[in-house]
Amino acid sequence: MDRTLDMSVSTNELKAKIIESLRLQDVTPEQIEDDAPLFGTGLGLDSIDALELVVMLEKHYGIVIKDIEEGRPAFRSVRTLAEFIEAKQAPK
Amino acid sequence: MNEVLVTATSAATQADLPNAKMGSRFGRMDLLSQLALLSVESLGVNFESMDRTRIAICMAVTAGSLPTDIEYWKGRREPGGPSPTLFAYTLPSSAIGEIAIRYRLTGPNLCFVGSRANLLNEARDLIDREEADACICIECDVVTAAIATITGLPTKAQARAAFLMRGTNGFLLKENHRDIESVCALVSAAEAARNSSR
Amino acid sequence: MHDVNHAADRNARVSAIPEIVIAGCGAITAVGDGVEALRTAMRTGRSGLRKCERYSDTRFQSSIAGVALQNGEYDDPAYELASRALAEACGQAQAVLTSVAPERIGFVLATTKANIEALERISDERKCSEEGRRHLQGDLLAADLAVEYRAKGPKQCVSNACVSGLIAIQQGARLIQRGEADAVLVAGVDHLSAFVMAGFSSLKALDPVGCRPFDRDRAGLSPGEAGAAIVLTKKIFFQSNHPTIQSPIFLQGWGNSNDANHITGPSRDGSGLAAAIRAALTSAKVKLEEIDYINAHGTGTPFNDAMESAALRTVFGDSCPPVSGSKGMLGHTLGAAGVVETILCVLAIRERWLPGTPGLNVPAELAPGSLMRESRPANRINHVLKMNTGFGGVNGALVLGYE
Repeated sequence: MDRTLDMSVSTNELKAKIIESLRLQDVTPEQIEDDAPLFGTGLGLDSIDALELVVMLEKHYGIVIKDIEEGRPAFRSVRTLAEFIEAKQAPK
Repeated sequence: MNEVLVTATSAATQADLPNAKMGSRFGRMDLLSQLALLSVESLGVNFESMDRTRIAICMAVTAGSLPTDIEYWKGRREPGGPSPTLFAYTLPSSAIGEIAIRYRLTGPNLCFVGSRANLLNEARDLIDREEADACICIECDVVTAAIATITGLPTKAQARAAFLMRGTNGFLLKENHRDIESVCALVSAAEAARNSSR
Repeated sequence: MHDVNHAADRNARVSAIPEIVIAGCGAITAVGDGVEALRTAMRTGRSGLRKCERYSDTRFQSSIAGVALQNGEYDDPAYELASRALAEACGQAQAVLTSVAPERIGFVLATTKANIEALERISDERKCSEEGRRHLQGDLLAADLAVEYRAKGPKQCVSNACVSGLIAIQQGARLIQRGEADAVLVAGVDHLSAFVMAGFSSLKALDPVGCRPFDRDRAGLSPGEAGAAIVLTKKIFFQSNHPTIQSPIFLQGWGNSNDANHITGPSRDGSGLAAAIRAALTSAKVKLEEIDYINAHGTGTPFNDAMESAALRTVFGDSCPPVSGSKGMLGHTLGAAGVVETILCVLAIRERWLPGTPGLNVPAELAPGSLMRESRPANRINHVLKMNTGFGGVNGALVLGYE
């Protein structure tokens, strides 16, 4: 797991991880807007992609999502996902 | 009634993939689905002009989904576990699913494991029995190095497709046409003749 | 290319299409060895699902599954399950099979993962026999089973996700009807594996408390393993070998379709399945009101059961015949499902007994009104509709019954 010194999640790195884990073709991190919807419209991801992102979160950020409903609001956009990861990684 | 004829054939190999313009979600499919889909695209059939509830899809996959199975199973020890996307492709018939989705084909499906199935015969039977009006046949041969080691099959990554329907323009199946390759020679010869007469 | 009119030939062939009957059945499932065990479980409503020690890893959503191979460790469980079922089915169909030349006996195997056990062993560098490794390939599994059971005619291995079983039965009938065989051994098999358990778990598709088909609170499926086999033959072959049996059970029609919607999710409105059901009824020349029982796919996942309920409403409206699902008894047996669940339909017809839906407590609001929780006797079961759906959008339906 990479953690930057100021504990904020690099959205660029997150976008790269999304592209890599979902094997999106002909899409670069620069083309994904921070606030664009990930599901439905925007990138047009579907239910399997959501499950794949759950796996990616555990593999790259060490975050375990037991219930897919917990992840739903987090998956709305890259920004909400980055905030979700930061919150989960923050020292208690 | 018109005869059932082969009206188009095509082939796709791994070398064709980098140039394939099949949309941004093509990358998430496994190699088998990519090759099968590309071979159907290369048939150049205008499905939209047909009754897509009556188009069948028949496929034979030499080693089943084994190449994808191995890739999926490698992920079992990763934190987060194996990939759910890969799991969806550990069924050879998922390739048929991708073809059906892309071209909105809702007719019957038939998927065999092994290379001995006579797909052309199956397709003609489906049309003769009026279970379908036309049929896409796809022979897929995807064997990666890992699977070659386990099964002894030669490594390969290719798909061949043929389209069958009743009509007046095309090729009649003969006894010696046991697979798509045997019909390809006829189609190539006809195309060469057509091109040289222009 | 000139028009060749084969209408006369075709008409002659159509009217000569042989009728297909079921000459024998065999099964090994989570409720025991043999069709008799299946019959008993059908009547009592007993479930064969249990917590499995080997899947109690916290990585899996659930460890509940239907185990059929109880004793010992097998490195070739696919062959073991299929072979046991075939032994029973061929035993029942002995009179027919010994009267047919081996070259005229075909073999169709339905399986989604064949002997995937071998892949797990090889990947972990554990011991695996040569046969076990060989049977990782479905076509070789089919070929070897065909040799053991004396089927020297055409051999096929069908792999169409969870509809493989129904499609294999259809293929058996097609082989006979186009003259390539006089009898066909149709077998369906899939064995329990960490491979499949982990996969459904990654899709969050397992019900932690065991599958509850059509239940209001359903949360997913429970995997099961089974070997199941049916011997198909022409009516005349059956009758000449069983002159005292007046009423064999016929395979009367079938239909297939694809939803063309999503790789793992069915279409919400069930229109694809509805089309397959209608095609089956039409090809069987059986009217809606002549269906006495429906055995659903009923995996227990929220989406599947909702889609099936919608499909049944589309086809039958408010007059849906009694319907139930058997996966709470056997688990979801994948490639074997279509074959073992068709055998259950055969038992229902012969016994005039309507199977219930083990695992169901409170029916979902949109479930068919005729959904049965408990099994019960019926005055008449002449025609049954069996359906299955699977990943990749595939749908299949079969109509079977008395003449």
